[in-house]
Amino acid sequence: MRLPAFGLAACLALAATACAAVSQNRRAYLADPMMNLNDEPLDAYRRQKLYDTREGAAGGDGAAAGGGCGCQ
Amino acid sequence: MPVERRKGRVGAPAAEILVALTLLSSSAGAQDAALPFPDEHILDAHDDTLRIRSVTTRVTAFDQYGHGYQSQAGPVRGPGSERATILEPQAEVVATQGDRLVHRLWIPVDVVTAASPNSIASPDVVSGASRHVEGGTIDWTATYKVDAVTDFSMRNGLHLEEPFRSWHSGLMATRSLADDNTVVSADVIELFDWFDRFDIHGGRHGHTTRTGTSGTVSVTQILTPTTVVNVNYGVTVLSGTMGNTWNSVPVAGASRGAERLPDERVRHALVARASQFLPWNGALRGYYRFYTDDWGIVAHSMEAQIMQRLSSVLYVGGLYRFHTQTGTTFFTTRASPTALLRVADSDLAPLDSHTIGGKVVADFPLMRQGQSWQIESLHFEVGYERYFRTNDLQMNIVTWEAGFHF
Repeated sequence: MRLPAFGLAACLALAATACAAVSQNRRAYLADPMMNLNDEPLDAYRRQKLYDTREGAAGGDGAAAGGGCGCQ
Repeated sequence: MPVERRKGRVGAPAAEILVALTLLSSSAGAQDAALPFPDEHILDAHDDTLRIRSVTTRVTAFDQYGHGYQSQAGPVRGPGSERATILEPQAEVVATQGDRLVHRLWIPVDVVTAASPNSIASPDVVSGASRHVEGGTIDWTATYKVDAVTDFSMRNGLHLEEPFRSWHSGLMATRSLADDNTVVSADVIELFDWFDRFDIHGGRHGHTTRTGTSGTVSVTQILTPTTVVNVNYGVTVLSGTMGNTWNSVPVAGASRGAERLPDERVRHALVARASQFLPWNGALRGYYRFYTDDWGIVAHSMEAQIMQRLSSVLYVGGLYRFHTQTGTTFFTTRASPTALLRVADSDLAPLDSHTIGGKVVADFPLMRQGQSWQIESLHFEVGYERYFRTNDLQMNIVTWEAGFHF
């Protein structure tokens, strides 16, 4: 199955890069709000709900997939 | 404040010498009592008072057009209107209690007017619900900082709307590794829905239920001083009544019938995110999600966002998202009367969708040298998105946000 293989490859790639630590005083660019991996929480919610209720493929983003007022 | 205090001390050297002499001559046990600035003044007293750190509000308006075969707002055997307008205000308050506990109270509200349920003669013979629905959620998350690298969160919530009640409860643990270069988290959320059961003609037949259990594991890794990535895997198991119960299916040899859905669904999703700072004071964010479930849907979603900082307080962003999915194995626009499973919901059909949008974000700091105002910064954001699908659905979305950080 492709999913576990892809997940394993992604985890190995992440683990391999973890050897080179970036010190706290070199993270100024990462602290910029533009660099957030996720949108602002309220923006992320309204976008996630839009896609969860208009496309039959919710899940994987740390929230319940289906149920709530989104059905299916 | 510390600057002013230091100036005051410089202006009173005699008092400072007196304090020093007092300290030298006193016994060790009496030292604390003689200090002019006790530990509580310098380090802040241990205080479990609830302090509000931020208040944020966001309002989003959705204007949707399109057609789907599940809707009865159209020809008997053809697709009906999916026209809908949705106003979605949200409010979020974040507060700290002492130095270990953070509370987040979040209240999203939906005001929905939709053509599809409105087309049913009497969607709810008791209350008239579903013609114009107001629904709201109260969601509370408490995060406890166990130590410098470990957080533990509890989340509880309640969703209310006229024909519908829903409760959710979850736990999450987060651990930082390698001087915060790596963050690992895991969460589990349980959800319980309790709602009115309708037939496709609007008759109400008691209540029905649905439960959902979701688990997620996530790894975030700093790769370089300008690059951070995240990988996320989530699984959800749903069981009970899967549909909203009033969606219909065109049936061969008859007019329309009810959906027939499995009573369980298992969904898997794998998400990868990356964010890269760009040399011209911009940022590029990428997102990919692979999804599969036991209803036969396989989906790929990709998104790119590019940000450009225009000044220290202002940046703009643009986004494009593409989503493609196969339909469920039992999707149909003309079902057999004897089919064991059938659904005509356009959301479960094979489709491609696109989202194009942009936003402007401003953060105004209100700190001044030598003084701090009660409000530390103001946050404003306004955005527009256009969503459109290959199976006849379009949506215009306008959103704006205002927030205060204290």
